[in-house]
Amino acid sequence: MRDKLNRLFAPLLLPALSVFTAMVLGGVLIALAGGNPLEAYAGMLEGAFGSPRAVSETLVWATPYILAGLSVSLAFRGGLFNIGAEGQLAFGALSAAWAGHWLPRLVGGGLPAALHVPLTLLLGALAGGLWAAVPGWIKARAGGHEVISTIMLNYVALNVVSFLLNGPMKDPTAANVLSRTPLIDESARVPALVDGFRLHWGFPLALLAAALVGWVLQRTAFGFEIRTAGQSPDAARYAGVRVGRTVIVTMALSGGLAGVAGAIEVSALHHRHELGFSQGYGFDAIAIALLGKAHPGGTVLAALLFSAMRSGATRMQYLTQVPIDVISVIQALILLFVAADTLVRRIYRVRARGERLVLTRGWGG
Amino acid sequence: MLKKRRLAIAVLLALASALPACTRSKRADCASPEVFCVGLVTDMGKIDDKSFNQSAWEAIQRAQKELGATTQYIETTDPKDYPKNIGTFAEEQYDVVITSGFGLTEATHAAAEQFKGVKFIGIDQFQATQKPNVVGLIFPEDHGGFLVGALAAMMTKSGKIGGVLATDAVPPVYRFGEGFRAGARHVKPDIEISVVYHNDVGFDKTFTDPEWGKTTAVSMIDKGIDIVFGGGGKTGNGALLGAATKGVYAIGVDTDQYYTVPEAQKVLLSSAVKLITEGTFDLIKMAKEGKLPAGNFEGKSGYAPYHDLDSKVPPEVKTKMEELRRGLLDGTLKTTVPPTKDAKGQP
Repeated sequence: MRDKLNRLFAPLLLPALSVFTAMVLGGVLIALAGGNPLEAYAGMLEGAFGSPRAVSETLVWATPYILAGLSVSLAFRGGLFNIGAEGQLAFGALSAAWAGHWLPRLVGGGLPAALHVPLTLLLGALAGGLWAAVPGWIKARAGGHEVISTIMLNYVALNVVSFLLNGPMKDPTAANVLSRTPLIDESARVPALVDGFRLHWGFPLALLAAALVGWVLQRTAFGFEIRTAGQSPDAARYAGVRVGRTVIVTMALSGGLAGVAGAIEVSALHHRHELGFSQGYGFDAIAIALLGKAHPGGTVLAALLFSAMRSGATRMQYLTQVPIDVISVIQALILLFVAADTLVRRIYRVRARGERLVLTRGWGG
Repeated sequence: MLKKRRLAIAVLLALASALPACTRSKRADCASPEVFCVGLVTDMGKIDDKSFNQSAWEAIQRAQKELGATTQYIETTDPKDYPKNIGTFAEEQYDVVITSGFGLTEATHAAAEQFKGVKFIGIDQFQATQKPNVVGLIFPEDHGGFLVGALAAMMTKSGKIGGVLATDAVPPVYRFGEGFRAGARHVKPDIEISVVYHNDVGFDKTFTDPEWGKTTAVSMIDKGIDIVFGGGGKTGNGALLGAATKGVYAIGVDTDQYYTVPEAQKVLLSSAVKLITEGTFDLIKMAKEGKLPAGNFEGKSGYAPYHDLDSKVPPEVKTKMEELRRGLLDGTLKTTVPPTKDAKGQP
């Protein structure tokens, strides 16, 4: 029993200490800026969980964070550093906006929601997945490092999306001056979970995705292949795993999750794709995956933490006038401590133990 | 030893999570009729952006001093928080919620629908449909453009002036640009004017292309233009920088750009400004008196001080500028600029 508990909670120790240290330093910063750190954090807590609406808003924030975080986590487990989640997310959103508005017109007639909603999300996943398969293919077949190709492909994706939202896919309404698509059909919208709140079915779906990723990684032969290819490609190859193929599929799955993150935001929240709706969710996802130690459960927890901070920040500023940027500083500090965990181990005298997570490898690895 | 330390950490963590529950901040009772509360939700910019948000906040601070208002602001960091941020004020029953910038138009309307007891002021938000508790503060940008156009025409030595602006499909940009043209013609009918709009790119780029603004300004200057009017976000700022590198006079837009583009201070003659602070304060005051209009409320547009170049502007030019400003204000002078590009040719 004790062992079991230990195994469950021990991995949480370092991330929790990292968060704690970052919050303490953030508190010092708030105090230096003339605020009261405790009041500020209390305000943040109230803003994140203080009322049913606050909880709803926090979970609205958490939905894309969980999905994009899972995307990066899954790639990490396969030994791949997917920095391209932002671009995959943008293509997922674009594809969902297309499926939500243009698809019914293409097939001539409305689609029933039972078909239209899943189709919208699936096309979002497909777009993100295909886009991410490109750097996977480059890595597997041409040896191009995925860190570089995914970063570069972000720019390609964002500029293609920008072109489409300003041109062919722009809302043609005369009064519209913004770069955005028309509203998607009612039948393509993920419904709200509770009436009167913005929280939608995308949140349980994101949790389901986390469970699914965990199941695939731990319980299936394919998951084993992903992990082996990630930890030791040579051993995997020796064991008969087709490493190249695994890399491509891992990237595609990773991109698919990011694509769903974008599609959910379109289908459940904005009901259209507006340029700039993602304020870097794909990049926050990297921090979330790192904090979650690339574990699906950890990723969910990290995503909840980040969304509580983002969502609670408004109320913190409202109540205490502490600048909202403090949140970004704290999140950056968390990332710093998680990445340089030796620092945290030193401070709290925690011994290193267990396997280290291989996040990415050098060229040709 | 190790165990003890771990225990200490656990206790510390527990304390840290329990402490927030003990503190509670005091807040004003906006629900009571005696307390007049005004809240500001910024668009994606910061409260001290030296532009729209800051101007709105200055109006609110004035309301705090002169009208005894309880005030507060929330900075938005993500567009999806607009409803939540507006809702934060509305749920506390603020009397007036001000949303700053065009981007909040839809969120403001949705909130007005939901919170019928709250009055909303949308800065730079043209109201296509009228809601009883929303007023959009809009500006006659052509007035500001007209004034600085006249100023440029009176100050040019080469007889050639130019305007570098973002797309004319956005009505305020169009009104600034065409106002500039009309103002220059008004004081000097034979002047050579070149006004260029950045229409060749999408809406995401047209306001954020300082490189284009700069090169366009520089090429104009190479052709003999000696005063450049730059307008439209970073694109216009680029034009001001182009003028600064070439050492010719520049004129800014929206707010007093002496403060937003310090690199151009030495050459900045003036700016065509929207008087956001004044307009917002007027509306807050009307709201306090229960006389807030619905629909659109036209504020004022004018020109900013000459700052460093004050001594270079001849007194007769200053007099003429004031005369034109008063003329536009009392309606004896018309810019003849249509409100939008599409409305051209219509009466």
